[in-house]
Amino acid sequence: MLTVENLSVRYGAVAAVRELSLSIEPGQLVALLGPNGAGKSSTINALTGLVAPMAGRIVFDGKDISRTRTEDRIRRGLTSTPEGRHIFANLTVGENLRLGAATRRDPKGVRADIDRFLALFPVLSERYAQAAGTLSGGEQQMLAISRSLMSRPKLLLLDEPSLGLAPRIVAQIFDFIGQLKAEGMTLLVVEQNATQALRFADRVYVVSSGALRYDGPPAKLADEHGLLNLYLGG
Amino acid sequence: MSESAVAARPSDAVTPAGNGKFRRSLFGGLVTALPVVLIGLAILGFAPAYYMHLALAAFVNLIIVVGLQIFMGNSNIANLGHSAFVGVGAYGVAVLSTPLAMKKLSIPNAPFGLAFVELNPLAAAVLALLVVAVLAAISGKIISRLSGVAATIVSLALLIIVHSVFLNWTDLFKGNQAFFGIPKVINLPAMLVASVAVIVIARLFKDSRWGLQLRASAQSPQAAAAFGIDAKRLRLVAWVLSALICGLAGVLFAYFAGTISPKLFYFQQIFITLAMLILGGMATVTGAVTGVIVLSIGLEFIRSIESGVTIAGVQLPQLLGLSGVALGVVIVLCMAFRPGGISGRLELDEQLSRLFRRDAR
Repeated sequence: MLTVENLSVRYGAVAAVRELSLSIEPGQLVALLGPNGAGKSSTINALTGLVAPMAGRIVFDGKDISRTRTEDRIRRGLTSTPEGRHIFANLTVGENLRLGAATRRDPKGVRADIDRFLALFPVLSERYAQAAGTLSGGEQQMLAISRSLMSRPKLLLLDEPSLGLAPRIVAQIFDFIGQLKAEGMTLLVVEQNATQALRFADRVYVVSSGALRYDGPPAKLADEHGLLNLYLGG
Repeated sequence: MSESAVAARPSDAVTPAGNGKFRRSLFGGLVTALPVVLIGLAILGFAPAYYMHLALAAFVNLIIVVGLQIFMGNSNIANLGHSAFVGVGAYGVAVLSTPLAMKKLSIPNAPFGLAFVELNPLAAAVLALLVVAVLAAISGKIISRLSGVAATIVSLALLIIVHSVFLNWTDLFKGNQAFFGIPKVINLPAMLVASVAVIVIARLFKDSRWGLQLRASAQSPQAAAAFGIDAKRLRLVAWVLSALICGLAGVLFAYFAGTISPKLFYFQQIFITLAMLILGGMATVTGAVTGVIVLSIGLEFIRSIESGVTIAGVQLPQLLGLSGVALGVVIVLCMAFRPGGISGRLELDEQLSRLFRRDAR
């Protein structure tokens, strides 16, 4: 579904991602692990078109999308949930959901989808007309993921869904991510929290200092404790 | 979590989303305009003629401030140039609709044969607004690419450029002198209708998908970009709409007063309208309306004290400059205790419905 070849991202003189290649098959949950500053978020931003890559090719659904705009990538079915949730705190829960569908032109479908997420997460329904900033951290993350799903993606990129959340909440978030996978969604989950990310992963990439260090099934990574220690610090 | 999150299913749940959204924001806009209508009708019915002129100034300020809110409130970028559009609207109709006999006296050497043009007021207004739109589209192209302080500085530069053109192109605009003889075709009721229309337009824009997306991108540019929201284009749309409404204020002012001069559309107007918007709360249209009402009445009250009054037999001395000081103090106090302005984040209809819901419990 997604193939990335030799992707490089630079910010001036600083190389954030160096010749990264990865591929995601339909229905898979792929985990991209690595420590802080490894280039994970830069990779996501290059995939969604928020930063222009220096070099490399991004092929999504058989089409080279390396030079297309974010809006077009979302229309094709490639959506991301930004790191740190980035909820629109002053806007209502309902407005946040509507904004996730910014690229859609079918008001009826959008409305039906909003209803579905409200039924799925009763707390969002209760707080529908309230500022999203009044939600708890875990609820905000649920809203952030729901908001991204409002664009009806085929591939969802999740940037650190566990960031700043208590372990119990993180487990709930990943339960939901696992449910999305069970329903056929393709996902790329970028994480520092290896334990949770590996629960549902079909394939794991580990990056460090902008370059790929490991590529393979999660079981093998778990065996090779050295690798985990080396790149994730435990 | 037994419900499916991905698969689309028809929903029979009663939805708070979407249905009658347009009607609700139309209704909300009318509720917001209600105080303006009531005050306007009271002035028309009971006030002495002297207040008519004050009311005119207040209504012109109201339209400008609501126009200003469309850009500032949604994009969260300070605009210090909106009076340029007010001026272009006013001078546009002045040049196009002033009777030929008057023009022979005031601008006999106007370029492009404009000394021999006398359009009917409506056509002149449309053309003047077209000029405003072109100027707004050009300046907006630059401003929408910038953000924060840089955009504000460009808006200020626009004001200075337009003002110096009015001052120095004397053949067309009469420079420093008053431009008189503009047909007086607007009365207070017409001004009232225009105010209501503008308030409703501002509310519809704020609640529209454009307004919502612009507010979102002002709040979190990264998140908005991640959803494919084109902040630059939205800023441009808001800028042009804002400029058109400010231009309309200028048109109406010229048609009501009959006489204009460049200094009317300069820093003093910028500051007073900006103070009104910030004091009332720029996040909402209600805030714009509130700020205009509070400051218009407040300043007039202070002005009456300024000239010296007698309270309980004690003659107070003249306090010249009090209005300026008081304006500053009021703004400082308001910003210190209510940084979001008097109205905060909720529109009048939202505040009312919240109030009634609380009572019902």
